[in-house]
Amino acid sequence: MHVEAMRNRISIFFFVCLALCGCAVRTASENPPATTASTQNIAAGLRLPLKPRSVRFAVIGDSGTGDRAQYELAQEMEAYRQVVGFTFVLMLGDNIYGGDHPRDFVRKFEEPYKPLLDAGVNFYASLGNHDNPNESHYKLFNMGGNRYYSFKKNEVAFFVLDSTYMGPEQISWLEQQLQNSSANWKICYFHHPLFSDAKFHGPDLDLRSVLMPLFQKYGVNLVLSGHEHVYERLKPQNDIYYFILGNSGQLRYHNLRASDEVRVGFDADRSFMVVEIDGDQLFFQTVSRTGSMIDSGILLRQGKPPSRAKAGQ
Amino acid sequence: MATWILAVSCLVGAQDKPQQDHPSVNQDSLVIQDFEKRTNDYVKLRKTAQSGLQVPKSKSSASSIKEYQQSLAQNIRSQRSQARPGDIFTPPIGEVFRRLLAGTFKSGDGRKVRASLRGAAPVHGLALQVNEEYPKTSALQSTPPTLLSDLPRLPPDLQYRIVDRELVLMDAAANLVVDFLPDALPVPKNAR
Repeated sequence: MHVEAMRNRISIFFFVCLALCGCAVRTASENPPATTASTQNIAAGLRLPLKPRSVRFAVIGDSGTGDRAQYELAQEMEAYRQVVGFTFVLMLGDNIYGGDHPRDFVRKFEEPYKPLLDAGVNFYASLGNHDNPNESHYKLFNMGGNRYYSFKKNEVAFFVLDSTYMGPEQISWLEQQLQNSSANWKICYFHHPLFSDAKFHGPDLDLRSVLMPLFQKYGVNLVLSGHEHVYERLKPQNDIYYFILGNSGQLRYHNLRASDEVRVGFDADRSFMVVEIDGDQLFFQTVSRTGSMIDSGILLRQGKPPSRAKAGQ
Repeated sequence: MATWILAVSCLVGAQDKPQQDHPSVNQDSLVIQDFEKRTNDYVKLRKTAQSGLQVPKSKSSASSIKEYQQSLAQNIRSQRSQARPGDIFTPPIGEVFRRLLAGTFKSGDGRKVRASLRGAAPVHGLALQVNEEYPKTSALQSTPPTLLSDLPRLPPDLQYRIVDRELVLMDAAANLVVDFLPDALPVPKNAR
């Protein structure tokens, strides 16, 4: 009796296996879009609400290596774009490493991000220490021929700085721009971080002493930087949110030191971030090359009581 | 700012040496004026070198940007074929610049300027040559904002960059070394 039952169970097991294999074969033979499975997974794990008329974008930093890891992360970004529908990407510098020949632009930017570019996604670049300043003229970086510039999407204003050369003219320009901006959200991004707990570079103290007073005075909400080849979400400093995302191509393994200043850190693989801003809320999700969720949360626009941030959910 | 620092430093010095006060201020101002004239002369030469070239617009292709950069660099080289180190950073100008930079590093901002230089991917061991390209494979050391605010302003086409302890005058669009000042930055205390 017992043996009979076992035989039946084994038969059922094999039947189920065959049925599953059949399904798998049938699914494959129907040639669905390559990202169907992953978009389903992405949608299931998404922490962005995808509200109508929200501002949605992605963020990458230190991306332009041309290595396989950059391409793989770009594929993951495209899978997210299909779900999130972000329309532009912020680049935090070091966009093209190791050369300024046209083929470098192809291999380290145009090819990896071709699906995004083909879908009409715009990239807005800032300059890093590995970038040729002439990248400001490159049409796909949308810098308008300027080392520093600003642009606006609905109620979100972006101020893009050249932290490799922060002269008095740029500082005056920034102050004027921030002063004149009536945007609900003011986001500054540039290459060198003002705060960091990575071991390799550390924070740029001189840059911090110049920029932070302006950020505080004019109500900058969020600051994004690269340079350190890790991901860091830092504890807000003087009521301003700071992120580092410098591992979208480059990576410095295990470079983060334990610190109370870091809310979430990731130094084990490449990553990018997707962001959605709707009214007074900023939703973010940081994703690794393999699609793992590194971090997510909601940031409330400063000055909104009772508690500003619900990050790290 | 640079003129202001020079004026203040000279006034401070004046308390010790009142007899030499005004001549020093005037002398330094003249030296800075000479530097500005030399950089303006470079800009004029550069305009000539640029004429006839397709200047990249805001939405250029990578190939047209590269072509412009190379042609501009080549034209500047041709027009400055006799250029030598120290043509712009002459010995008197170099002396004033070293003094300005020493002042920055000695000031209350010196510590953070040093920290910024250390953290911003320092560039070492480049054999700089006037009229030659800055190596594409080398990163550009960022120049600390305090240091930039303490040095004489430059025309938009030129930038101050740092390699080791040298102050480099760069033509950013042509990616060309225009001149450089050796031993411009004071020796770090821990290296003495």
